[in-house]
Amino acid sequence: MKQRTVWSAVLVATLALAGCGSAGGSRSSPGGSEGKLVVWDWKSGEPTAAAYLQKAKADFARKHPDVTVEFVAQPFEQYYTLLGTAIQAGKGPDVMLFNGGGQIRDRADALLPLDDYLAEDRQRLTGWEAFTKDGKTYAGPVTLQGHPIYYNRTLYEKAGLDPANPATTWPQFVANCATLTKQTGAKCLALGNKEGFGIQFFLSAFGTGVFTPQEQDDWIAGKRDWTSPHVKRIFALWKETQDAKLNSDGANSTAMFNDSFAIFQSAKAAHVIGLMSDVGHWKDFSEFVTAEKLGVMRAPVVVPGAVPNLPFDGGIGYGVAKWTKDPKVAADLVRSLTSTDALKSFYADAGAIAADTTIDVSQGGPAVTTIVADLKTGKPALHVALSSKTLDLMGRLSQQLLSGSVSVDEAVKQLAASDQAG
Amino acid sequence: MPVDEAMPSVRPAPAGRTDGTPPRQRVPRDRAAPRGGRRAERLAPYVLLAPALLILLLLRFWPLLLGVNFSFTGDGDRDGLMVGFDNYLELFRDPLFRGALRNVGLLVLLLPVAVAIPGLLATFIYLRVPGHRLYRSVYFFPAVLSPVIVGAIFNLLLAFDGPFNALLGGVGLGPVDWLGDPDVAMFVVVGVHIWATFGMALVVFLAGFATLDASLLDAARVDGASLPQTIRHVIVPSLSRTIQFVFVTTMIGMLTSMFGLLYVMTSGGPEGSTYLPEYYIWFQQGQLNRPALASAASTVLFLIMLVVGLLQISLLRRAVREA
Repeated sequence: MKQRTVWSAVLVATLALAGCGSAGGSRSSPGGSEGKLVVWDWKSGEPTAAAYLQKAKADFARKHPDVTVEFVAQPFEQYYTLLGTAIQAGKGPDVMLFNGGGQIRDRADALLPLDDYLAEDRQRLTGWEAFTKDGKTYAGPVTLQGHPIYYNRTLYEKAGLDPANPATTWPQFVANCATLTKQTGAKCLALGNKEGFGIQFFLSAFGTGVFTPQEQDDWIAGKRDWTSPHVKRIFALWKETQDAKLNSDGANSTAMFNDSFAIFQSAKAAHVIGLMSDVGHWKDFSEFVTAEKLGVMRAPVVVPGAVPNLPFDGGIGYGVAKWTKDPKVAADLVRSLTSTDALKSFYADAGAIAADTTIDVSQGGPAVTTIVADLKTGKPALHVALSSKTLDLMGRLSQQLLSGSVSVDEAVKQLAASDQAG
Repeated sequence: MPVDEAMPSVRPAPAGRTDGTPPRQRVPRDRAAPRGGRRAERLAPYVLLAPALLILLLLRFWPLLLGVNFSFTGDGDRDGLMVGFDNYLELFRDPLFRGALRNVGLLVLLLPVAVAIPGLLATFIYLRVPGHRLYRSVYFFPAVLSPVIVGAIFNLLLAFDGPFNALLGGVGLGPVDWLGDPDVAMFVVVGVHIWATFGMALVVFLAGFATLDASLLDAARVDGASLPQTIRHVIVPSLSRTIQFVFVTTMIGMLTSMFGLLYVMTSGGPEGSTYLPEYYIWFQQGQLNRPALASAASTVLFLIMLVVGLLQISLLRRAVREA
């Protein structure tokens, strides 16, 4: 036993003294091979993306007939874990799909700035900010991601409320919620906060009813005053919705994807803060809440002076790895993946609001028309400005706020410390 | 190679022939063998061991070394720079990691329950309760299910508006947020883990029972021992080595195999109350892009497992000595 302990101690000491190298790995190793581009994403395996990819591939093949493109669809739950490992090995794909915001900014040092290559698309597409870090753009936006507040017009009608005129102030919203629950038995908000995502959507959607436009701009620009009463008001509001029983039951054990959206679809809740691209959006709901019965509203005004608007950013976009052999060719593939023709198919089949806002969406129904119209005045989502680390902390604190084990002041204090640490 | 030349060093020395004929001329041939041949003989065992050693060094020791190595470097802007024990300091300042370590302690405390359940059930099966053959299959069945499937099943059963709470409501009790209450969730996940894995421990116990001296049980019956007395005075002492083995393997299983269940059932929540070091490592590496910090957490987990392993060896040795 003694000998074994000594050997173990020697092993540990040897390992501890061996410090050198890098966990992030060398990022200079070349990836891919001549005449071939490897693309990683989580969309290419889905039937709704088939026509989109077919058009993008055809467009690219016209420009580069000698280059083969291989799409590798990864499971979304594991995507960033797999990508992180590939990046650390310096042998990742040439082109890769990203969510806008923290996910791409955290990995910007493995990516190629694309400003020069995508200059021609700058005006046609929107949502670039979510793929930008320190003034450099790292991906071409495919879709826009935003957080509209959807509501069920049928439930409004059953409750005797006017579906054409949803609440515009917070007291009116709470009163409507009471009527909805009393008359229909449905909860006011479908909330799933098992992964702590609920607070992100809430901050961005309802935050526009609390912050003034200047405060929103400052927040996005990184000038975040966590001691401001308006910041505290947003987190207090989050707590109030729970205390007033506006949320669906068991929020901290209900997954947002796709359980809370199922609660909304099954008319067990009247409102849900949803998405515009991928899942949890108007087309997803259409099986049970048809286009005519689906409403979209802006956040009610909670604090006078606020100007509610649609929070949105670039949704998903394709970036190019630093190690790709021919950056121009890889960037051309990104251009094909963001071409108008391809994006039209993505909108038509998957229902995603494309980054190309010139695409005609008039056939999508009133909700889509409202969303696209609101893009003109919309501002970037508040939560997207925060780092992944702060978002993770915010998720846990939001669960503590719902259960009452942390106060709003303490939550805001911890978030400020995390945000300032960077 | 002729058979009589193979591995001469491990053959017994020639004892001479019993028929009176002189032995074959081995001595001159030995004399003729070059020095290099003897060296080759000496090296042969090492050459034979080399492939295994190389595999161990390349696929076991080297990744371990790299992992520890990375734990002393930085993440993000400090990628590749030596940061000393910064990652370890950050780890132990992180309430989430401290919570994960506390949960490891909780698992150790819950270990007796995880061993007692299969032990008791195996006893009942051994004592041939009615339907024992059916029970044996039913108890083992979850062991062949993936943790993801088990997690998904229990997510449905334990949902706030799910059948468990409906049953509670039926008897007039209020609903419990099984997976959303931080005081309850970890116990629920461990409970499901025990449900899913005790079948294997049960099989080990049944194997132990196969070695039990039946005459002792008969003697106990003749002496009028009750069931609890039989378990306490006959079964437990006879199965002490099996119990210790199950104890150790269950402990290792709880420390290293709960990731799938945690991922599916709680995602580490609510409030980070169900984090275990494995989940923490995965989250830091994959979601927060902090491989160096994750390496430090991996090293800490490795040290925990090393201590557990040494305790395990000590426990087993003592058990063998006492037997």
